[in-house]
Amino acid sequence: MFLAWREIKQNKLRFALITAVLMLVSFLVFFLSGLASGLAGLNREAVDKWDADSIYLTEESDKSLIQSMMTAEKADEVKGDKTAVLAELNLIADNGEAKNGVALFGIRPDEFIMPKVTEGKPFQDEFEVVASDYLKDEGFSVGDELSLSSTDEKLTITGFTDSARFNAAPVLYMDLGDFQKVRFGPAADQMGEGEEAVNAIVVKGGSGETVPDELERIDSETFIENLPGYTEQSLTLTLMIYFLFVISAAVVAIFLYVLTVQKIGMFGVMKAQGISSGYLAWSVIAQTFILAVIGVLIGFVLTVGTGQFLPNAVPVTFDYGMMAIYGAVLVAVAVLGALVSVWTIVKIDPLEAISG
Amino acid sequence: MTEHVLQLNEVTKTFGSGRTEVQALKETTLEVARGEVIAIIGPSGSGKSTLLTIAGGLQTPTAGDVRIAGERITDLNEKKRSRVRLEHVGFILQASNLVPFLTVSEQLRLLDKVKKGNMSPDERDGLLEELGIEELVKKYPGDLSGGERQRVAIAKSLYSNPSLLLADEPTASLDSDRAFEVMGLLKSAAVKKDAATIVVTHDTRLTDYVDKVYKMVDGELRLQEKRKAERLPDERTDFLEPEGDRNGV
Repeated sequence: MFLAWREIKQNKLRFALITAVLMLVSFLVFFLSGLASGLAGLNREAVDKWDADSIYLTEESDKSLIQSMMTAEKADEVKGDKTAVLAELNLIADNGEAKNGVALFGIRPDEFIMPKVTEGKPFQDEFEVVASDYLKDEGFSVGDELSLSSTDEKLTITGFTDSARFNAAPVLYMDLGDFQKVRFGPAADQMGEGEEAVNAIVVKGGSGETVPDELERIDSETFIENLPGYTEQSLTLTLMIYFLFVISAAVVAIFLYVLTVQKIGMFGVMKAQGISSGYLAWSVIAQTFILAVIGVLIGFVLTVGTGQFLPNAVPVTFDYGMMAIYGAVLVAVAVLGALVSVWTIVKIDPLEAISG
Repeated sequence: MTEHVLQLNEVTKTFGSGRTEVQALKETTLEVARGEVIAIIGPSGSGKSTLLTIAGGLQTPTAGDVRIAGERITDLNEKKRSRVRLEHVGFILQASNLVPFLTVSEQLRLLDKVKKGNMSPDERDGLLEELGIEELVKKYPGDLSGGERQRVAIAKSLYSNPSLLLADEPTASLDSDRAFEVMGLLKSAAVKKDAATIVVTHDTRLTDYVDKVYKMVDGELRLQEKRKAERLPDERTDFLEPEGDRNGV
């Protein structure tokens, strides 16, 4: 650490450049992780909010919610601490001033997936809905009457709830019975208790050993991964982050290697004087660690600072736990990059340095 | 009985093989005692540096034995030879062997980091004062003149109390006055610290400071002159005396 820190102090500009590169890479990694987290949230918020263990879909649906269709009475065959039926439609909602794509959830208000209302009141009367509060930013408010694409029914917003987006669309929650009328029109009046068409049964607790005929049980994560585009999007961003780790290691390796090559004579003389390769190698590793930690910390502060000024339309959500992990990985790969220099130092022949 | 710090016994060094074989060092036997200063002169390519680097354990001979402070280093691996160098050998090189980003005092602190048994703070201060560099302790090598850098290099090589000092053209980059001054300091230090010293040099004027002069010709080492060194610096060298002497023991 003695050599490492003194060299940094004496060559501030040179090491500031390396730190700046690490800072920019970490900024990009943190920002991409925030973007990945935010985009994931767009898809999965409403599902995470259920805090469910498993979801039952029809076997023939191939794990697609929209393709799964069953009657609500199937829920009676499912064993679990808590069960809830879910019907879903994708629509365009229009309050006369703004239009927005929405996911309309038909649920039973006494079941566990009923959301907590953060503003206004829960739906009670016919065709009332509780909406995702993201719709507030799009120009929707409590009391708005919504006309829907593909149906003549009108819905009224009675309240808002937070963290309620599904497959990148804000969710509207409404009573399952009313939902049937939106979906099937007057034909819904013919449906008896338990005959409502639903897309899934959401379960919390229970062993999940009993799976009714024609149904398939999947866990929440699998359900989310099968949302259209979700896995592709997540993998793309994750791959970009992983590539940045590799790039980071390569950049640090190249920088430090160039610096080490410039100091081969000095290291050689030091080795000739009996200073061990281990001491010199440890010095380079300590130096890299110091630079990486400083770069990553500045990158972190810069990312969080930038996040304060981003418009809401940019789906960035900072997961500080994940950022800490990515930061640690960046420091680790930087140290890994320094191993090239360590190897160079180990291979330095003091005799050549003396002769030179 | 004379204690020889450095013993080379029938040492040879050959590079290449077959038609490209070059014998850089022919069978050489050399002993350097404590407090003895010898000079090796000779033209470029004669094998002087090869001898010096073998003596310092920087390379191994093709044949023969090398002992430093009684320890046979010929068959040691680089790591063990590195330890021997750290404990027993001080190098003074033609080019400055200073770390560019450390101040003069930090150059010595670095040695404290890697080795125990260096000079005490008082001894260090005395050494720096004697070498006339006590005012330079906060300066970096880049701020020093060539002569000052070599004096710092001497201080650095002596700081770890070596029993063997190896100097490769230590005055090559200095003007005559500075060269004599540095050589005088080196001689004083070697004598007072009781270190066996080998100086490889082109400058025959500097041989006035040494006890023996060897000439290297085509890899063959010949004793050219044996005498009591004529020129001894008259500066105070109390700091270099063994501790027991200073305490009147």
